[in-house]
Amino acid sequence: MSLELKIQSLKLNEGENPVRKKAIIVAVAGNPNSGKSTLINAIAGTRLQVGNWPGVTVEKKTAVFEYEGRKIKLVDLPGTYSLSPYTQEEIIARDYLVHEKPDVIIDVVDATNLERNLYLTIQLLELGIPVVIALNIYDEAMKKGYKIDIKAMEKMLGVRVIPTIATKKSGLKELLKAITEIVDNPAIHIPKRLHYEEDFELAAASVESYIKTTYPHLAEKYPLRWFSFKLLEGDQHVLQEINLSENETFIKDIREHLKRSHGDDIESLMADERYAQASGLTHEVLKKPETRKIEMTEKIDRIVLNRFFGIPIFLAAMWLVFKLTFDVSGPFADWLDAMITGPFKRWAETILGFIHAPEWTVSLATDGIIAGVGFVIVFVPVIFAMMFFITFLEGSGYMARAAFVMDRLMHAIGLHGKSFIPMLLGFGCNVPAIYATRVLENPRDKALTALLIPLMSCGARLPVYVVFVGAFFPHNAGTVIWSLYVMGISLAILMGVIFKKTLFKGEAPVFIMELPPYRMPYFRSLMIHTWEKGKHFLIKAGTYILAVSIIVWFLLNLPWGVENKRDSYLGKMGQVIAPVLEPLGFGKWEAASSLVAGLIAKEIVVGTMGEIYVPKLEDKKEEKPSLTEDLKEIGTSLVSAAKDSIANIFSTFGIASLSSEESPEMKEERESLRNVIRKQFTPLTAYAFMSFVLLYMPCVVAAIALRQEFGTWKWYGIAFVYQMALAWIVAFMIYQGGKIIGLG
Amino acid sequence: MVPLGLLSKGEKAEIVDIKAQKGYYHGKGKDLLCYVYNIGLHIGKTVEMLNNAGRGSVLVKVDESRIALGRGIAMKIMVRRIEK
Repeated sequence: MSLELKIQSLKLNEGENPVRKKAIIVAVAGNPNSGKSTLINAIAGTRLQVGNWPGVTVEKKTAVFEYEGRKIKLVDLPGTYSLSPYTQEEIIARDYLVHEKPDVIIDVVDATNLERNLYLTIQLLELGIPVVIALNIYDEAMKKGYKIDIKAMEKMLGVRVIPTIATKKSGLKELLKAITEIVDNPAIHIPKRLHYEEDFELAAASVESYIKTTYPHLAEKYPLRWFSFKLLEGDQHVLQEINLSENETFIKDIREHLKRSHGDDIESLMADERYAQASGLTHEVLKKPETRKIEMTEKIDRIVLNRFFGIPIFLAAMWLVFKLTFDVSGPFADWLDAMITGPFKRWAETILGFIHAPEWTVSLATDGIIAGVGFVIVFVPVIFAMMFFITFLEGSGYMARAAFVMDRLMHAIGLHGKSFIPMLLGFGCNVPAIYATRVLENPRDKALTALLIPLMSCGARLPVYVVFVGAFFPHNAGTVIWSLYVMGISLAILMGVIFKKTLFKGEAPVFIMELPPYRMPYFRSLMIHTWEKGKHFLIKAGTYILAVSIIVWFLLNLPWGVENKRDSYLGKMGQVIAPVLEPLGFGKWEAASSLVAGLIAKEIVVGTMGEIYVPKLEDKKEEKPSLTEDLKEIGTSLVSAAKDSIANIFSTFGIASLSSEESPEMKEERESLRNVIRKQFTPLTAYAFMSFVLLYMPCVVAAIALRQEFGTWKWYGIAFVYQMALAWIVAFMIYQGGKIIGLG
Repeated sequence: MVPLGLLSKGEKAEIVDIKAQKGYYHGKGKDLLCYVYNIGLHIGKTVEMLNNAGRGSVLVKVDESRIALGRGIAMKIMVRRIEK
């Protein structure tokens, strides 16, 4: 607490100092599950900036702050077990360390799992950069009865070792103090050169001296000891970088010499050398109690991973997340929606009317901008609620178990067990589902999952079904809607198999994953992570969606003074597209225009149809409520939204959005829309149309989510193309097949 | 000597060999062995089988960590049972 205050107050003083000091660059390395991100959150809090490492989708977190008058920049490296070049995370971490040469490395070490964590430490020491070990999760190690000789550890490694408990913010001040001490006197804080087997040391020494004389620029560029070991190991990543072949005579000679006495695989031998160091060190400094009691984690796992109960427990957990997400956030989303389309819109109209703004600007402001912003904001509660629950599952350790339990089932469609979670969430809304693909570390699994998510019939498609089913299948409404959901799932399985054999050929997902111990996530850290995840959506998606809403507004209202929607640009686009939809049974410009507008969100299909088909029940000028009435209404409806939200948690039926009440006018409008639709469609074309709406391109919000998660439009492009094709083919088969068997 | 994937729940064994075959991780064709090694599974280590349903992934304990492994990999790690 006091630490944070101190940092903050120092931050305020920043302005007084005209000379911007060069920031101390501190890289934070550590194993996955070592509590690294909790530690960073604890130090940096809200000053954390989240971005991506260049060219990849791995998150990059940085934070700049002041401590005792010094500027410190923290750079969070991806969690890795090693610095070998075999995973994207490892390459990012080591490239950063080698090329950016941070001033200090904080190595976050899980005190309960010393040996494996020290394996990474040993590799970090080879770089010759000062290291501070944050001996994290120290409280749990104590609880287990471990005794760690910190003094001995410091002496053997030549680095500072600070016990920390990131969740309780303990040890952080000492950690930062150690950093400043090191920067003040880096020379005495160079880590010890650990002594490997004599032959390797000799070989490394001769490579070192050879490089110094022959390639002085490389000696400048790389940490020499590390570099020499990499050359000995024949590290392809390094060799490529410096454009040398492993057959280069000087390396080859030395390698041959080593191979003669130690066998072919120098890389493995080096790994063993390093591990031996980690292992030896652990034996020296760690005293474990003789008896080991069965841990809580094991007890929970016995139930959760049970052969019979595992899947039911997982499904129940997912059902709960799904329900909590949409039920808790649903009433708030509805409330926001009502607030934006009601009072906000009215206020804007009043203000614009007051300053005598032209009619079209009023329409642009209300139907274009406010409605567009409304779309974004309505998503906010859902996104945040879901991110919160996902973060909870991740933080508690259950997420990894879910992946373990579901792995076998998902394997059939070429996916990882964890993919099940985002896909399931897709039924509520595809957008948070796409964000939820973050739980998958492997880019391949992530991309494949994200490509299949849009086939999950989201809540926004439901209004379309409701209108059509009400018009044509009132007696089998449930079955017809259910059949559409099943269609989506079946096609997802089919496409999964197809993608596995084409786009993602030859890359079988390999399942190796550490299951962290169960831990109760700290509320503060939950909130920070939820905010980090949700913020992205709020800012970036917001701008795009706004832009698209404005464009659609213009399309629907241009050329100026267009009376008949048929003559608007959107109507004209509909007319152009209509012939393509002819073989599907709904080749009419009205249907086509609605589908185009559905780009924003699929429920807009209904809204646009309403606008086109139903002559406006216009100028039924309702009494405009006064400002105070509006405010009162906002307040009371917020209270009732909160009540609904809480009630929903306990109620077991349905999803809130399904049961939300509609005003009589809405019902009336929908009834008149249904009457028109009955004339325009047949049951067969209606079903074909609904299938088309289910399958065709992801909405723009989903598009933005895809773009943001993958940093490229590529996956949206693929999704767009395959879904359009799929929608067309399926609707074609339904319509033409139906005609053949006489349903037309 | 048996593959790790054939141990039953509760059995302890020492890793004696990891069959070197190319596998895939993180979308790139890389030596899977390296990842297995880095996560803490190597020759000489004692592992305990925590969960093995006969099909699908297995869960083993090595040192203080619990590692879930696909069956494919679990069958490539050869172990020797430790008598109780």
